[in-house]
Amino acid sequence: MTSRLEVSVRKSLPGFTLDVEWHAGDGVAVLFGPSGSGKTLTLQCLAGLVRPDAGRIVVNDQVLFDAAAGIDLRPQRRRVGYVFQGYALFPHLTVRQNVGFGLRDRSRAERGQRVNDVLARLSIEAHADRYPRDLSGGQRQRVALGRALATDPSLLLLDEPLSALDLPLRQALRDELRSILTGWGTAAVLVTHDLTEAYRLGDRIVVYEDGRVIQAAPRSELLWQPSSRSVARIMGLRNLLQGVTLKATPDRIQFRWRGQTLEAVNSPIRSYLPAPDSPLAFFIRPEYVRLIRKDRDGVDSAHHMNLMSGTIVREVDFGTIWTLYFRLDEPGPPAQGDYDLEVEVPRLVYEILEIDRDRHWRFSLHRGSIHVLPSA
Amino acid sequence: MSPDNLSALRLSLQVAVAATALNALVGIPIAYVLARRRFWGKSVVDLLVTLPLVLPPTVVGYYLIVLLGRRGVLGAPLYELSGFTVAFTWYAAVIAATVMALPLLVRTVRAAIESVDRDLERAAYTLGRSELRTVLEVTLPLARNGILAGVVLAFARALGEFGATLMLAGNIPGRTATVPLSIYTAVQTGESGEALGLVAVLTVLSCLVLVVANRLGARAA
Repeated sequence: MTSRLEVSVRKSLPGFTLDVEWHAGDGVAVLFGPSGSGKTLTLQCLAGLVRPDAGRIVVNDQVLFDAAAGIDLRPQRRRVGYVFQGYALFPHLTVRQNVGFGLRDRSRAERGQRVNDVLARLSIEAHADRYPRDLSGGQRQRVALGRALATDPSLLLLDEPLSALDLPLRQALRDELRSILTGWGTAAVLVTHDLTEAYRLGDRIVVYEDGRVIQAAPRSELLWQPSSRSVARIMGLRNLLQGVTLKATPDRIQFRWRGQTLEAVNSPIRSYLPAPDSPLAFFIRPEYVRLIRKDRDGVDSAHHMNLMSGTIVREVDFGTIWTLYFRLDEPGPPAQGDYDLEVEVPRLVYEILEIDRDRHWRFSLHRGSIHVLPSA
Repeated sequence: MSPDNLSALRLSLQVAVAATALNALVGIPIAYVLARRRFWGKSVVDLLVTLPLVLPPTVVGYYLIVLLGRRGVLGAPLYELSGFTVAFTWYAAVIAATVMALPLLVRTVRAAIESVDRDLERAAYTLGRSELRTVLEVTLPLARNGILAGVVLAFARALGEFGATLMLAGNIPGRTATVPLSIYTAVQTGESGEALGLVAVLTVLSCLVLVVANRLGARAA
């Protein structure tokens, strides 16, 4: 079944205005952005718990809300499942009663059958007669999912579904959640402020900032082509830098930065042609900077484009990786405080190259690893 | 214990039970609305309900006479229609006790309802429950201990009501003379032995109530 979700919502609160418009299809749409950017408010509007001032919400051709037409279905009539932050399981009811809560209009036998099916599918039959307080975080998440999915909603909403969990559990349950969502096939909207979660769980990512949508794109596109500097900043991208354009063509962009002439691949989807001498924002993923080994001879320009050299001014050990802060061999103030470029190397590489003893390195960047950001 | 004292005690219990029931009936909906709804005039309702807590009981009694007395705003039409007046009946004692106990119940129950996670109610709405059914199936069961504590406190307050009762119901032995009023009469007429028995009974009852309310409160927290 192909589902389609169209959301256009405006809601003014004291000190905050939500004004968003986006759409999504099958699978999971992730609303991603910092706390307080209006993600949960959007979910509440979708569920009918908050009434927007203006806008229109359509799920699979069913109009849930249309300010102009005076349509505003009550939450009870929307067939929208909601997994709340912290799960909001009814503490005075057993797992079975929680899951069956939305099935009141069905016969006793039918309800019992459906609850058993759901419990079995989520592997929580063994806990059916326990109370939420006796469950682990992961079991609670499954009960909350089961309660929302038992009614066969046309849309499932999840508000920070993993935030109630400890970090190690979070990662395990993230993958479990992904497989449950895929397995069930219900169109879902999930809210998170964690980029990794957004990527692991979302098919489409809608980036929120301060009550507005600043980018909505399929996951793969967003990762490599943030549409603007602010998207890149919200995504927590490092080495977000600014250079000066030399020459832009539909497939290459040449620019100057810190005395270097660098070349980047232009985005094939949205080719960006800034005028010569205009400022240019770009970012470099720290894990894509290649240190050049000194024990091998020859620098091959085909393999080593965008060649630079610099000195390590600081380094941080993150266990499996090392982060090195390089200052280029260039006069003038560094681009990012006391350094120019942040570089990540795996621990093994750090040890083989004996980086702890040698602080001066040459490094290169493939032109595909420099990502130019259209100014916006 | 003398027959008079026994009848005072029976009357007191009867009045307190009736006033508590009335309190729960009126007070729980008011508490819910104050806790969960935003509406025009909410602060006025809040003020009116809380006022008996701080006003001298005789002042509350005076207002009740103005409202319900034979020549009162509501009392006069009632008397003309039915020839019945609330004043100086045991109903008057019930009404006085109800009004005086209402702030305790409403405030306790309101706090209990406010402590129920709103997401639980929202979850019930998205699962198809109306607001009324949500109140009955989710909010009130989860606020249960707070509600019981409020009811117990209201009962204690109703049992000990003196000033407003005296104003509206008078002090008629066997009809409106509840235990606190009988104690007053006994002391006034110098029958301190009589008074002592009733004082002991009220003290024990009140202690019991406090213990129960505290236990409920502790479990609610």
